[in-house]
Amino acid sequence: MIKIYISKVMLLLLFVFASPSVFAIERFNVAMASNFSVQQQDTAKRDTAKYANKTDTIGQMIRAMQKFKGIRDTIDIRSAKLVPNLSLQQMLKGNLAGVYVQEPNGEPGTEQSMIIQGVSGLLFQRKDVYALQPAIYVNGVPLIADNPFAFDVQKYDYNRIGPATNHLAQISMDNIQSIVVVKDPYELAKLGPNAANGAIYITTKNARAGKRDISLNSYFGYVTAPKVNTVNGAYENNFRSQFYQKYNPTQKYASYLRDSTNVSYFGPSNWTDLYQQTSPIYSANLGITGGTERANFRFFGSGTKNAGNADETNLDQYNLFFGINMAPFNWLTVSTSVNAARLDRERNRSYRDRFAETRYLPDLSTPPSPNASNYSSYLNEVEKMVDNNRNTILNGNFSLAAKIGKVSLTSSLLFNYNEGVRDYFVPSTLMAGSSYVSNYFGYSQRMAINNVASYRYEVNKSNAIDFELGQTLQGDTHKYNYARAYNGPNDYVKLTFVDGREFINGVANPGYLNVLTNTSFYVFRYIDKERSNLMSFYGSAKYSYKNLLTLSALLRRDGASNGQPDSRWVTTPAFNVNWNLKEQFLAKSSGIDALHLSGGWGRTLRIFLDDRFAAGPQYRSENGWEEEPTIPGYSQYLGINRPYNSGFIGYGLRLPYSNRTSITLDGTFMKSRLSVALTAYNRNDKAGVLGVPVPLELGYVSNYRSGLDINNKGLELLVNANMLQNNAGFSWSTGLNLSYNCNKLKALPGALTELVYQNDNKLVVGQSVGSYWLYSNVGIYNTDAEVPAGRTFNGIPMKKGDPQFVDYNGDNTITSQDKVLTGDRLPNFIGGWNNSFSYMNFDLNFNFIFAAGQKAINQYDATRYGFVNREASSDINAVREVSSWQTSTNAINYPIYDPWSPVNAYRTDQDLFLEDASYAKLRSVTLGYDFAKSSLLKKSLRRVYLYATALNVFTLTKFSGIDPELINYNGIYDAANITIPRTFVLGFKLDL
Amino acid sequence: MNNYKNILWHYKNTVLATLVVVLSTGNFSCKKIEDVESNRLASEANNWKKYEDARANLLSVYGLLRSATVSDNTHWLMGDLRQGDFKITNRADLKAIVDGQLNAQFPVINRITNWRRFYAAINAASLFIERSKEIVGLDPRYTQVQNNVEVAQARMVRAMAYFYMVRIWGDVPLLTTSHDGDFIQVPRTNKDIVLQFATSELLNAAEIVPFAYGGTDPIFPGTYYGQSTAAWVGTIFTRLSAYILLAHISAWQGNYLDASRYSKFVIDNYPTANARSTGAANIVLLSIDALTENLNYYSPFAFKRSTLLIGFPFEYGTGLATADGHLEQLTLAAPYIPKTRPEMFVSKDTILKAFTDPGDLRFSFDTKTNTYRKNYFTNFSSEEPVFSKIKVVYPSATSGNTVLFASSLVFSRLEEMILLYAEANAALGNLAQAVSVLNSYTENRGTTKYDPLVNGSSQIAVLKAIFAERRRELMGEGWRWYDLVRYNRIVKAPGIFIVKNGQPLTFRQFEEAGGIYWPVSQDVINANPKITQNPYWK
Repeated sequence: MIKIYISKVMLLLLFVFASPSVFAIERFNVAMASNFSVQQQDTAKRDTAKYANKTDTIGQMIRAMQKFKGIRDTIDIRSAKLVPNLSLQQMLKGNLAGVYVQEPNGEPGTEQSMIIQGVSGLLFQRKDVYALQPAIYVNGVPLIADNPFAFDVQKYDYNRIGPATNHLAQISMDNIQSIVVVKDPYELAKLGPNAANGAIYITTKNARAGKRDISLNSYFGYVTAPKVNTVNGAYENNFRSQFYQKYNPTQKYASYLRDSTNVSYFGPSNWTDLYQQTSPIYSANLGITGGTERANFRFFGSGTKNAGNADETNLDQYNLFFGINMAPFNWLTVSTSVNAARLDRERNRSYRDRFAETRYLPDLSTPPSPNASNYSSYLNEVEKMVDNNRNTILNGNFSLAAKIGKVSLTSSLLFNYNEGVRDYFVPSTLMAGSSYVSNYFGYSQRMAINNVASYRYEVNKSNAIDFELGQTLQGDTHKYNYARAYNGPNDYVKLTFVDGREFINGVANPGYLNVLTNTSFYVFRYIDKERSNLMSFYGSAKYSYKNLLTLSALLRRDGASNGQPDSRWVTTPAFNVNWNLKEQFLAKSSGIDALHLSGGWGRTLRIFLDDRFAAGPQYRSENGWEEEPTIPGYSQYLGINRPYNSGFIGYGLRLPYSNRTSITLDGTFMKSRLSVALTAYNRNDKAGVLGVPVPLELGYVSNYRSGLDINNKGLELLVNANMLQNNAGFSWSTGLNLSYNCNKLKALPGALTELVYQNDNKLVVGQSVGSYWLYSNVGIYNTDAEVPAGRTFNGIPMKKGDPQFVDYNGDNTITSQDKVLTGDRLPNFIGGWNNSFSYMNFDLNFNFIFAAGQKAINQYDATRYGFVNREASSDINAVREVSSWQTSTNAINYPIYDPWSPVNAYRTDQDLFLEDASYAKLRSVTLGYDFAKSSLLKKSLRRVYLYATALNVFTLTKFSGIDPELINYNGIYDAANITIPRTFVLGFKLDL
Repeated sequence: MNNYKNILWHYKNTVLATLVVVLSTGNFSCKKIEDVESNRLASEANNWKKYEDARANLLSVYGLLRSATVSDNTHWLMGDLRQGDFKITNRADLKAIVDGQLNAQFPVINRITNWRRFYAAINAASLFIERSKEIVGLDPRYTQVQNNVEVAQARMVRAMAYFYMVRIWGDVPLLTTSHDGDFIQVPRTNKDIVLQFATSELLNAAEIVPFAYGGTDPIFPGTYYGQSTAAWVGTIFTRLSAYILLAHISAWQGNYLDASRYSKFVIDNYPTANARSTGAANIVLLSIDALTENLNYYSPFAFKRSTLLIGFPFEYGTGLATADGHLEQLTLAAPYIPKTRPEMFVSKDTILKAFTDPGDLRFSFDTKTNTYRKNYFTNFSSEEPVFSKIKVVYPSATSGNTVLFASSLVFSRLEEMILLYAEANAALGNLAQAVSVLNSYTENRGTTKYDPLVNGSSQIAVLKAIFAERRRELMGEGWRWYDLVRYNRIVKAPGIFIVKNGQPLTFRQFEEAGGIYWPVSQDVINANPKITQNPYWK
């Protein structure tokens, strides 16, 4: 069906462009109504700034929004442009109320998460995070994200297979006109199921009429290597001696720590010389805009080099944008824009990521040496690796807007294509004699057609109704081909190949195109594809009474192919009221410039990311086990069976939905010097599907059922103030956003009040879904006599040196019954504080961000103290990186338990390692000088601006690790990630 | 003027275009758009329809039991470690098992004590038994006879899963239907009832399945899914497999009369299986090279061979070589694979104690070359000799750099059946027969025949000799712990078997306390409150 649509659009393009004189229209000097200088038609019309009576187009929307710049959940573009952020998430971090950005890794281009107004689902596994992400719109195009279905064929979920690059590093800040977070229930309902988790609406600078406008921007700077307290084997020995002395004086130390003359471990710990780098970063871009009222264009091109401060990680980003608007008639506008990006990423060379990709764990009892000379010999082999990661991204739209009388029609085609390629090769020298190669090609593609008709009916001067009808058809495709192979003929052959001879001497070749018969590489192939369609209709009406009151109502019907056949079509309503209090009651008040009260309620459908739920009871090829998850079958044939390993799927799984309520009071006071907005929201995410634990005697890990309800409540405060503005030219303006969120599990499927989720987590109605489930550690048994008689831990008699856990149910045995929910993975308070000072031609900006209330499990310390088990296991969590040879200045001293005890004293499922990960950061400082204000250059240049920015300046935190941001989505701090670098840049902005 | 014309033309076309869009929005079928068939799964509407569906579903039943027995190396961790011959170099979880600390808190121990994976195989088997008959009416290629044979296979796999679990956990819940989509809570069933069920299922199936698939067995002649016997040996269960399982269940229950009957059937009838095979190598007694060097067509470990009477293959040629799920992952090291130390090994002392025959080809001092034989152990002179009996390194070589293994899980082979038959005879007091059976393959191992006059003629002496031979012959095949249990049950030794929390226990006390069984993972108990922990591990 999508194809039919595409062909129709092609036909349409032909109709419009087939005429050779298409550009001749420029010659006609027809006076145009002002609202024809539209820049971009957006079919999902929105009026986020509800104060504008009629905001039909994106262009108007932006203008409307600029009136409230800084106060209505938009990014302060002017100051954001001066910060060398790479990704959208970094741009937003701390700057939008209610948007929590997690940047768990300083490696440029790695995936980052955004959560708007609390989580709507679980976040225990990597793929859960994908389902929590908001929709990102670029010029009205809802960007398609990588689908987590690839995790099905992965043994470890640290990274998705393929380049795993953050697609949202595609947009250059200098080409952005506005970034708005959409949280309003009515607006989200209008955007539809894509935006079930909220939306970030990005509008790029676009074509517009006017004198040719050229801007050139560039910066250059460095990411700096952090200061690290390195340690060597002597430190480690000293650390361990306390355990040996106390519990096991006769036991020999780990072999690598036995010989103190061994330079590899007891020599200088100078791995930092080779691991860390102060690396240059730079960027340059050029934007040209011009044209007439009837036809205008914009071109933008940029190139950026971003880098991490360690392991030679970096990312090259290239971005091209082209947009044109044409108005062939005064009733018709044609506009199109295309945004293309290419991302080339140099990834880290850590052991863990390599082992996870190759699924190969060597003997882990000996860690890498902290000595640079040893490390360099390792790096020499690493140089022979190939790791190409390339993403090609294309998105854009083509739209027609016609206005005939009071009716306006818009039709647009939206497209988005992301392609990722990864070629990965590990030489045999790093894999104990067997080389490894993997190749990934994957894409995600979205095509959508939007049609909207709107009509304004003015009953009389004070009463008017705007009607709108809309229809959308959207088709998504996700696909990948992935092959990994072992044992190539030598380290020069980096490709798998097959025997291309169909016949040998006239006899059919049994090995023809068969990778498995070729002994040069042992190949495992994975091919997967998933398609889904979404079709929507909606109608809305907005009634306005003077400029006092507007009432809006919307009804939409969405059908999703990923829903089960009997429940895939769902009708959802939304309402909105906006009341101008100033006009109503305080028209004469001089201290109050504006005061509005608005409220809305809306329901949004949420669509499964996975197509398996639509099928109901099913059979899959799931024959493997945890360590070998991708066993294709038995003997020489593919096998299919019920999804025992992933969970039973029955009928009756409805599509989940969100009910949102929000009330906002906002006002502008003191001649617009102070503006304040306060929002309260309440969101109920209903009918979520959850794998409910079932008796394991039926063979299934879980049974998927509908009925997970999660509530998020919160308050958001925005304050913008011009604190000072004196005649001497000094001014200070400040902006604060502060959000509070409270997450609560409201219901579980089948009216359960609690359940143990996949053995390691517990969900309890009334508690936050991000809670940890831990044993309560209250000390140590110093002697056997201190242990209460008969006290066991899961059947193991407790002894001297074991941790003292609270026996909540008093049965004298510590089991998972004695674990309690405590701490939250997500913060309660987030926000940012932005300050701009200006004096004469100088200006200075400080940006603070903070997050409070989240807790983390310090797995790094858990494995450091539990070294006995770590070095005696073959678990990927036991992998040590060279960067583990360091200490943190605020490291915690934990009790000295018996690390040999079968109780596993330093287990991570206890509150011993639970830490407060709240932080406040001075994220950026910018000092700028505007030459344009000096008359020197005024004639030839519109603007010359020089600036210097420092990014990630300092952090205030109690957290004992390196940085409280480097905590993984699941709350685990493993110190395996590259740190977020302190960055300094110098840049200029030139407008001709 | 021309331009005006163009514009007009353009105008018309644009209106037309707009109309096309507006009109077309209404006249397509929503149904078509919303029906996107997933190509990642088979829905209920697509399964149980065709001949090939039977194959895919049946083979998955085997595949699931294979995964259950090998995941995290269960078969060896549970069979070879506890009071066994292996010493652990480094891994704390394996050490805990060797020390009998079976409830120690390690991820691997938690996973292997979770019985869900066995029930996945059982559920898939039950589902196959219930649903596969639907295909008979729908696809003419799928005959009633074939369906009967395949249902019988599923019954055998299910019976094996139950027997395997009873050995590990004692009483386990008995589910004989799939309860598809109905998640009932079932308590543990008495182990005797479970084994009784398994026995009757096996006896029933034994009447239906052929001695060989894809061969000339009159029960089910001709190719099987287009393949001759060579493709099916060592993979799916035959009539011999049924009797092997019956013999083992009987022996485990102490019913040596039946054990003797069933094992004799296997020993008497393997030539029948050979005669009815097409294109496959024969079931034979293994030469030492076939056993340890993967030579010729008889290795039970490499590829899939007739000699693998019950087992699950991991053929590299079908993309099934894996890292986990093979003994080699635990025992192999240099010079076979690039790994400095194995995770477990058999110490010199143990080797010298177990292998006393100077002519034993498995291990002895070769006076011709003045070296120790390497068939079972390599680097004998080092601290940590490598247990190199089983070594099927990708592709199917005895050594290599790619640490993926292709060895089959070997549950039973002819030698194992012979030793069980000898054991049954010895237990029943037929000592002469026991000795003669025990001596039936000594030529292949270079050992001297057991002579009651020299080595002892008492029942105990013969039993000891049989179990000593089982220890040698089946080392690393997951039998040691179960052999110890059966041996101690027969001999009823009064001595102290184990000390638990300072309290000495005889074997009988130990068994009565439930000590021979493993604890069940807390995850199992959390998911079904009707399951109770094994009392020994409470």
